[in-house]
Amino acid sequence: MEMLHRCAVQHDMVGTMTRYLNLYRLFLIQRLKVLMEYRANFILGASSTIVWQASSIAAVWVVMRQVPSLNGWTYDEVLLVYGLVTLAKSINHMFADNLWTIGRVYIRSGGFERFLVRPIDPLFHLLADRFCQDGVGNFLVGVALVGKSSIALGIDWTPSKMLMLVVGVLSGGFIFIALNLITCVSAFWIVDSVPITRLVFDNHLFAQYPLSIYPRGISILLTWIIPYGFASFYPASYLLNRDAGNIAWLGPFVAAILLFVGYRFWQFGLKYYSGTGT
Amino acid sequence: MISAARRRLSVYAALFGMIPKMFMAYQIWFWVGLVLNIISMAILVFFWRAVYADTSTISGLGLNQTITYIMLAFIFMPLTSSDLVWQFGSDLREGMIIHQLLRPVNFQAMNYVQMLGGLISRLVWQLPMLFFAVLLFDLRLPTGFSTWLAFIVSALLGFTVMFYFNWFLACFTFYTTEIWGLGVLIEGMTFFLSGALVPLAMMPEWLRTAVLSVPFAQALAVPVGLLTGITPLSDAPRVWLVQILWIIGMWIASTLFFRVAVRKITVQGG
Repeated sequence: MEMLHRCAVQHDMVGTMTRYLNLYRLFLIQRLKVLMEYRANFILGASSTIVWQASSIAAVWVVMRQVPSLNGWTYDEVLLVYGLVTLAKSINHMFADNLWTIGRVYIRSGGFERFLVRPIDPLFHLLADRFCQDGVGNFLVGVALVGKSSIALGIDWTPSKMLMLVVGVLSGGFIFIALNLITCVSAFWIVDSVPITRLVFDNHLFAQYPLSIYPRGISILLTWIIPYGFASFYPASYLLNRDAGNIAWLGPFVAAILLFVGYRFWQFGLKYYSGTGT
Repeated sequence: MISAARRRLSVYAALFGMIPKMFMAYQIWFWVGLVLNIISMAILVFFWRAVYADTSTISGLGLNQTITYIMLAFIFMPLTSSDLVWQFGSDLREGMIIHQLLRPVNFQAMNYVQMLGGLISRLVWQLPMLFFAVLLFDLRLPTGFSTWLAFIVSALLGFTVMFYFNWFLACFTFYTTEIWGLGVLIEGMTFFLSGALVPLAMMPEWLRTAVLSVPFAQALAVPVGLLTGITPLSDAPRVWLVQILWIIGMWIASTLFFRVAVRKITVQGG
């Protein structure tokens, strides 16, 4: 009997998941139709992020072609770190960019109420509402950097390393999303959550370089408090057979905990939310 | 005659005074911006310290000189602002540009004064950052009076180069009516081309030539080079002369382009 019940619950969960996946597909198709209407903006948006990244990478190249290493990390090893964090960031940028705009676009205008009266989870609705094309540029930069550096470094792609690449990028991406989720909840109180989100988000810039170049305090911050290190430094260390690498396997747990906290906080904020009266 | 000049002066003064008020509206961003700047500066400082871990000079520059240059370039980044391009874009979109063109004030002079006011506000905003750079990252400011004088002259000249260059770029708005793409593209490139991320001396010859063939470095790398002593003070007159030549070139190019472009004006309502 209990077995049967558990089966039913599982079945129900699978059903919900399929329903939401289908819904996401429909939202995405709609969004792509809109984006294709403004094709020039789509291309400009995606390429603008590429130009920004190219600036920083060019600077690293100019400097590192003259020195043997960045505190023991070669040019290509630095590119690997940089590429991994860019890939993780692109997941957040493409699929969860509305966590930035919730206050300015949805709450201030009263558009958020629309989500509350629909028979789907409001958070899902918010995220599915806008696929952000600018993230595609970051994704391409990330793929190019990881590809280029791993070839140059001759990384031996054992199954565990391939798994680490996926685990590192995905848990990194979810860490980005979870931290933006936690901070965006402030929009329910102060409407514009962007300053708060930026305060946390910008710390990912530290993770563009090996954490070992920073003082201990900063690397602890980036590992245990604002754990962007799991998006770049630790998986890269694993791929390069460095000592710090094994801790990278904790990435999925760190991401899961943050997502759990983020979702509970979101629900708490939603309960408090009373609209702006628009 | 005198009263006309006085009237004109007071008009410009009023325009000048509006800018800080607009900035005050974003108080929360002041504090948040400060923290974000400290994060960015910390990354730059630790990155460069790690670069110098195994070597004492790169392209003739020592650690202290490089870090001082990088921090000061960061603080004086507003010199490269491309606000004018954005403002043209939004004025055109909202139809405001018609009123501005019709005002009995020289359109270009009005914009210059506004941009100068914006620059000074932004630099005042950077003062706390200067304080934190000294406090946290041991920034040592140059003390020589003539060094600062050489820097201020060069910074003003560089700002003027950028003004005419932005004026030139902004004229594209008259054709495209949309400036977002161009604006983002320029802002992305400015970081590198102005010399904010790497001293020009460290670039390979071909790259330095390319970077110096566009105007961005005139507004940042050149004045900050004088301030940090990377460019010796005795070179100052030569540096100024090059900047003045840039101004003349950019002034001619932008004036000609504007004359042609303004006839194409299409305002999307307003």
